[in-house]
Amino acid sequence: MKKKAVTPYMIICAVLLALLAVFFLFPLYWIITGSVKEKSDIIIKSGEMVKWIPTRITWDNYQRLFKTATELFGIGMPMAIRWLFNSVFISVVAMGLTCATSSLAGYALAKKRFWGKGIVFGLFVCAMALPKQVILIPLMTEMSNLGLLKSVWGSMFAVIFPVVGWPFGVFLMKQFSENIPSSLLEAARIDGASELRTFLEVAFPIIKPGFGALAIFTFINSWNEYPLQLVMLTQNESKTISLGIASKLSEMSNDFGLIMAGAALAAVPIIIVFLCFQKYFTQGITMGAVKG
Amino acid sequence: MANKKQKAPARSLILQRRETVVSYLFLLPALFFFVGFVITPMVMGVITSFTDASFTNPTGQFVGLKNYIRLFQDKIFIKSAVNTVIIVVVSVPVVTAFSLWVGSVIYKMKSGIRSFYRCVFYLPVVTGSVAVTVVWKWMFDKYDGLLNYIIKAFGGSPLPWTSGESMALGCIILILLTTSIGQPIVLYVAALGNVDVSLEEAAKVDGANDFQVFWKIKWPSIMPTTLYVAVITTINSFQCFALIQLLTSGGPNYSTSTVMYLLYEIAFKTTKEFGYADAMGVVLAIVIALFSALQFKVMNGGTTE
Amino acid sequence: MKKILSVVLATTLLAGTLAGCGGGQTAETTAAPAAGGTETTAAPAADSGSGDATEIIWWAFPTFGVDTGYEQELVDAFNAAHPEYKVKVEYIDFTSGPDKLTAALTSGTAPDILFDAPGRIIEYGNAGYLVSLDDMLDALKSDLTSDALIETCVGADGTAWMYPISSSPFYMGLNKEALEAADALQYVNLEGDRTWTTDDFVKMCEALRDAGSTQVPAIVYCGGQGGDQGTRALVNNLYSSSIVGEDGKWNMDENGVKALALLKSMYDSQALDAGFDMAAADELQKFQQETCAMTFCFGTSSEITYASEDFTQEAVPFPSDDGTPSLEYLVNGFCVFDNKDEARAEGSKEFIKFICDDAEWGPKSVVKTNAFPVRKSFGDLYEGDEHMALLASWSQFYGPYYNTRAGFAAMRPLWFNMLQQVFNGKDPQEAADEFNTSANAG
Repeated sequence: MKKKAVTPYMIICAVLLALLAVFFLFPLYWIITGSVKEKSDIIIKSGEMVKWIPTRITWDNYQRLFKTATELFGIGMPMAIRWLFNSVFISVVAMGLTCATSSLAGYALAKKRFWGKGIVFGLFVCAMALPKQVILIPLMTEMSNLGLLKSVWGSMFAVIFPVVGWPFGVFLMKQFSENIPSSLLEAARIDGASELRTFLEVAFPIIKPGFGALAIFTFINSWNEYPLQLVMLTQNESKTISLGIASKLSEMSNDFGLIMAGAALAAVPIIIVFLCFQKYFTQGITMGAVKG
Repeated sequence: MANKKQKAPARSLILQRRETVVSYLFLLPALFFFVGFVITPMVMGVITSFTDASFTNPTGQFVGLKNYIRLFQDKIFIKSAVNTVIIVVVSVPVVTAFSLWVGSVIYKMKSGIRSFYRCVFYLPVVTGSVAVTVVWKWMFDKYDGLLNYIIKAFGGSPLPWTSGESMALGCIILILLTTSIGQPIVLYVAALGNVDVSLEEAAKVDGANDFQVFWKIKWPSIMPTTLYVAVITTINSFQCFALIQLLTSGGPNYSTSTVMYLLYEIAFKTTKEFGYADAMGVVLAIVIALFSALQFKVMNGGTTE
Repeated sequence: MKKILSVVLATTLLAGTLAGCGGGQTAETTAAPAAGGTETTAAPAADSGSGDATEIIWWAFPTFGVDTGYEQELVDAFNAAHPEYKVKVEYIDFTSGPDKLTAALTSGTAPDILFDAPGRIIEYGNAGYLVSLDDMLDALKSDLTSDALIETCVGADGTAWMYPISSSPFYMGLNKEALEAADALQYVNLEGDRTWTTDDFVKMCEALRDAGSTQVPAIVYCGGQGGDQGTRALVNNLYSSSIVGEDGKWNMDENGVKALALLKSMYDSQALDAGFDMAAADELQKFQQETCAMTFCFGTSSEITYASEDFTQEAVPFPSDDGTPSLEYLVNGFCVFDNKDEARAEGSKEFIKFICDDAEWGPKSVVKTNAFPVRKSFGDLYEGDEHMALLASWSQFYGPYYNTRAGFAAMRPLWFNMLQQVFNGKDPQEAADEFNTSANAG
């Protein structure tokens, strides 16, 4: 692209963008600084100045957050860390299962001709429109009948399974799989490769970028999936970090520092995951959607 | 569908049958979770919507279409439906236009700056509503909130924000926008990057101005992205819920109540009539499905070469 | 990075293909209960012993205070004294806890014991989810401090669903220094039983407005159900109305309408403000931060949660036209869910008696709730504490208890919406009529 002279429009755009970036980053900045502020910096009485920067950094808020202790696999740890572990566990397992099931299904829907394809795909698409709140109580009855809700680990799987079943992944992977040239598949078939080998060796390398997008999508979704976690995870040891923060918010709404420490603990890990993998994410998301 | 190439004329019935079996084997894991944990409870939910099931009587009696008829006589439901439509009608074009603007400004920038902005706008999606809404709640606070603090610092008179009947829905939409534009921006940056540069330059040689270049060349080629963005934003806006629960509880005077919020309130908080709440959910799902189907139709019409 | 990604992909793909080829159904269904089975039987704690101890699940709202560890102390003491039972406590909060209970009850995954208040407990009882506690309440009757407590524990058909432990009034809190600065202390009665009148309340608010010692004199919160008994007490006291009519129906009578009109006129003259997006917790926070000079939702626990070192908080009853208030009050108590298991129900009752009636733990539990015992025999647990003595004396002003009435849960959203409408300019009479119709419709 050739260099152009700086126009007033470009300057306005740059300024506006910078302002917007500040606006978008502010909540995060406020959470992180709030988590290390002292009480006197946080509670702003009428007429006082807002403390934009902490006057002194303190870890008291985190100490209060980590007060309750528990253990996992025999290792003692603060309850909040256990919640964090649960969030990671649920998200990682859901992510793995979703990637595996969706890529197989998406590939079949995009590249195979079979009886009932229209109906199956239609069902997947329609289900995306359904509000999850409607299935909450029936789902809970089902999970309880399966005997999952009695135990800590079982109830975590009760959160994972519906997330894996959610059809968005299949929809996304179908979009990606449309990019696989049929001629390649045909060639593999003529060579006598089995279906599974064709998928693994021909189709998979092509849809690989899509995995990044789907993985991060699923990870973020199951991390932030609130209503499902709320009803399924009833035991202290099975709570996730979002549930933990929400209950702290209810019990100690006037302890802003503690809430901010909790919010930081819930937000920072997932932001780091996102930043690390964002390259794959943008690659993948782009490839699927631009195709249409 | 699109891949007509596979339709070899001599394909035997056995081969077709084999392909069907293989396809379903590929689909099996996904279908297992989908049918088991989405379709099954969904069917149960639809069945419940034809009963008078409630907290006191979880199985309920079959009442036919009674719940559905009641919906259209329920003033609060109608108000919530109107609010929902307002949210969708405002946020879909705004998200599309705004993310297109951001996308078109940043796609030409250096890759480092580009990915910085992409991340910044994507962050609210990542951070999750519970944590961020706490900060928003404080910003919108009528008495000690940041926004009114700034207004007062400049000598203005404070605004009611989420506590004002005419402003509250606007505040909700504003926050919804911040969590909705991340993905569209990523998509647009990519789509604009894929636009054929030679066409663009040819048009410029012919004396087209920037606006014409955009309208005649870029716009048609990013059409599929636009429609995809529209579908995703529509579904998200229809299902806006957590924000409202945390910020306004549907008030003041139901001015921020949406169908999604109302159905949760009815199922879990107030009268606990599951049948009635599920009827709302079914109606909402049908409307979303219709909207999406319509947009899909337009999208497919736009892409087939 | 690339390597990690490919490893992740490989493993997930492997899992996927396994599920795909070997029949996903069997793989999944066997894996899940296995994960479930191990944890339930071999739960973390130590004293497995014979292994057939009856497990009892207790869901606790933070009525004993947040993160105090007292619940666990109780459980440990009980488990030690009764090895045949094994109690496990799970904590729930007031925001999400009720939703969790609704989902758990309807899907058949209820706990055994809940520590809560009559509003929800009686609703659960009337809906058929509870075990009758008639025998326990009968034994307690002769020792109750007030017979009125009985009606807080029984459902529509007279069955006892709740076993009470303690009770305390709801009242108002004032910022003494802010009042002093506005020269408004003269309108408040800080002597004796501290009762005062509607006129003085209005004058106080106006003085606060004129002096501007806080941003707003008061906030009538109406953004949700949380702590809505405070605004109901305010409205009902101003002109001595009652929300329940003679016929037992929900009823905003003409005095109630008069009270609404007064509040609206005070709102218009900025003698108070309306909190359209606020519930009691938000208003209490504003009181603590000195944004407003009073709270309508003070109680023995919010006094502690929202205490401040910067100003003096004074407790007063609600003002009324005749100077005799009618106060709302809290009753803390337990209920037992009907899980169709005799042993668990018996154990639950045993545990409740241990918490409430044990010679050592009973009085301790009452004090932990920051409220007054329902048992006469416990005597004065706060000897020498003048403040607590004052609060205890207000039990003479307790009004009729209506939280256990049919339609209470459905009435609550109608209540705060009525307030919103009135403050937004709807005619109070019209708003009240609408409230009466809707509240009695169900």
